[in-house]
Amino acid sequence: MTDEPNPVSSENPTVEALIENIDHPKPDLSSLEVDREDYVIETIHLHKRYGKLHAVNDLNLRVPRGSVFGFVGPNGAGKTSTMRILTTLMLPSSGEAKVSGFSVLTQPREVRRSIGYMPDFFGVYDDMKVWEYLDFFAACYEIPESERPGLINDLLELVDLKHRRDDMVDKLSRGMKQRLCLARTLAHDPEVLILDEPASGLDPRARIEIRSLLVELAKMGKTIFFSSHILADVAEICTDIGIIEAGQMVAQGPIDEMRRQLLPHRQIVITLLGRVDEAKEKLMQVKGVQEILDLKDEAGRKRIQVNFNGEDAGISELLTALTSSGIPVTNFAEQTQDLEAVFMRATKGIVT
Amino acid sequence: MRNPVRLLLGNPVVLKELRGRMRGPRAFIVLTGFLALVGGFAILLYLGMNAASRTNTGQVDGGEIGRTLFAGVIGIELFLVTFIAPAFTAGTISGERERQTYDLLRTTLLPESQLVMGKLFSALAYVFLLLLAAIPMQSLSFILGGTDLPDLFISFVILMTTAIFLGTVGIYFSARIKRTLPASISTYGVALGIVIGTILLFFILTVVTAPLLDRSGNVQASRTTEWIILIGRGALICLNPITTLWVSIDALVEQQSLWAFEYTFQGGSQGATSTVTLPSPWLVFTVLYLVISALFFMFTTRRIRQIDEQ
Repeated sequence: MTDEPNPVSSENPTVEALIENIDHPKPDLSSLEVDREDYVIETIHLHKRYGKLHAVNDLNLRVPRGSVFGFVGPNGAGKTSTMRILTTLMLPSSGEAKVSGFSVLTQPREVRRSIGYMPDFFGVYDDMKVWEYLDFFAACYEIPESERPGLINDLLELVDLKHRRDDMVDKLSRGMKQRLCLARTLAHDPEVLILDEPASGLDPRARIEIRSLLVELAKMGKTIFFSSHILADVAEICTDIGIIEAGQMVAQGPIDEMRRQLLPHRQIVITLLGRVDEAKEKLMQVKGVQEILDLKDEAGRKRIQVNFNGEDAGISELLTALTSSGIPVTNFAEQTQDLEAVFMRATKGIVT
Repeated sequence: MRNPVRLLLGNPVVLKELRGRMRGPRAFIVLTGFLALVGGFAILLYLGMNAASRTNTGQVDGGEIGRTLFAGVIGIELFLVTFIAPAFTAGTISGERERQTYDLLRTTLLPESQLVMGKLFSALAYVFLLLLAAIPMQSLSFILGGTDLPDLFISFVILMTTAIFLGTVGIYFSARIKRTLPASISTYGVALGIVIGTILLFFILTVVTAPLLDRSGNVQASRTTEWIILIGRGALICLNPITTLWVSIDALVEQQSLWAFEYTFQGGSQGATSTVTLPSPWLVFTVLYLVISALFFMFTTRRIRQIDEQ
């Protein structure tokens, strides 16, 4: 057992984590209306083979309408292949994939109309201005010429690039390019956004900006399906996750449910002024306590970790057991277990 | 059905490509370089011809100089178009892949035919501009005589047809081959094939059929053999823009006919001469290459429409 399971709250947090904690409160996803009975993306026994390599192996993916779905997996797990099939850029070897109810095999045009796709790289037309870039793609999505100026202004405002309207695209920073690319995906008001590593290679601030934008878009009713290596991003903005390994879906569902399923016990860290043995004895009597571990002292104070399996009422009982006995408690907090723990538990480290 | 001109001008790829091509100094530099080369060559040719005419006869044959100047200017234009048209098109689709914008385009609602047409039209529009800008240079020969408007018309049609054909070949290879360099090499291979390869084949045919010719070059064989040789020679002439232009203008000067010319069978072993009317080579060349271009356009569109198997 590690002493500090959550890297964000460790004694030596990364600069990145610090900036995120200082600048950016966790976005509120409670207003999102996720319809778990209606799947906007669905794959049925999907396979993709490259010669002997089985990149996607009987994948059954289901993305609920209105969700922010994080698609995670190790390198070579089949994330990009799945996304390329969903965006009609590649044919599956067998199986079916549907987006907004349209088959990628037989209705690719309808699929394209309903998706906004952002690949994991930014395709640059270095000889275009920002507004020209959006105008070109809006025209490619058959937006009438008369509607485009207003649309471009709205999109630039949304991604906070209005002030760079007349700049050449190649003069933008990577984060700005990524935001512009996101604006491009919205030109035709698609139902679903399919984003491959949207925060890849961005600095912490740009990552936060992209994450905030994604949450805003989700609040506007878009379903967001994105892949990421950065589990912190997934944990922060996703309502649902799917974990893929060796081309197979190893786990998928609402993020809280996944945490509960894959990490059966909750961790409560308690800081005491003394009487540790007595506290342990009292706590062990509460129903649901599995084990109690000693942690390193912090500023001369004793700390213990209680691994607990139960509901919130049980956690309240833990605190009551200590305070009713007069044991001095200075801190009592449940540790949020990060998605990395869920990920490590779900995957086996298999790479195709 | 939508107006094709409106469809073309409303094509987002046309607007994007033309905007990109005409932005900055590049378009101006290429146009200036093109005209400087054509102009420089015309001046050298004029000075050379003028000097040669004076030396040989003591008099200047304006018509001869005019015709040579015209042929020389068209020749250099043809040479430049052969290099420029593939350069403008062989990287159009592969360049999208290399810039990583191909996937972005493929997931939009832009039809494949509009993508290909937009790329082709914008490249050819610039070639058209170059040829149009060089017309005053060709027209210099009118001052000296020896050429007329039909010559100008034929030469312009042949140049544009060559540009369209090499343009579609360039786009085809660009869609077929993922990288620009091999796509360019393949396109230049085809360009060399039609410009030099057909001439080599013509010489080979001449050598092979030499035993059947008399001292004047007339065929001394059966009517069937003469037909076969005529078709073989005609095909090779009509495949090559230079020989097409040469023979078409020759027919125009000799027979005063823009659209057709008369060929006289020498009779050979039968001993009786007869005449057939054949379409002028520029007409065959234009129809043939425009049909092939349309096929290449179709193949390119089909290639882009295919969703990648891998």
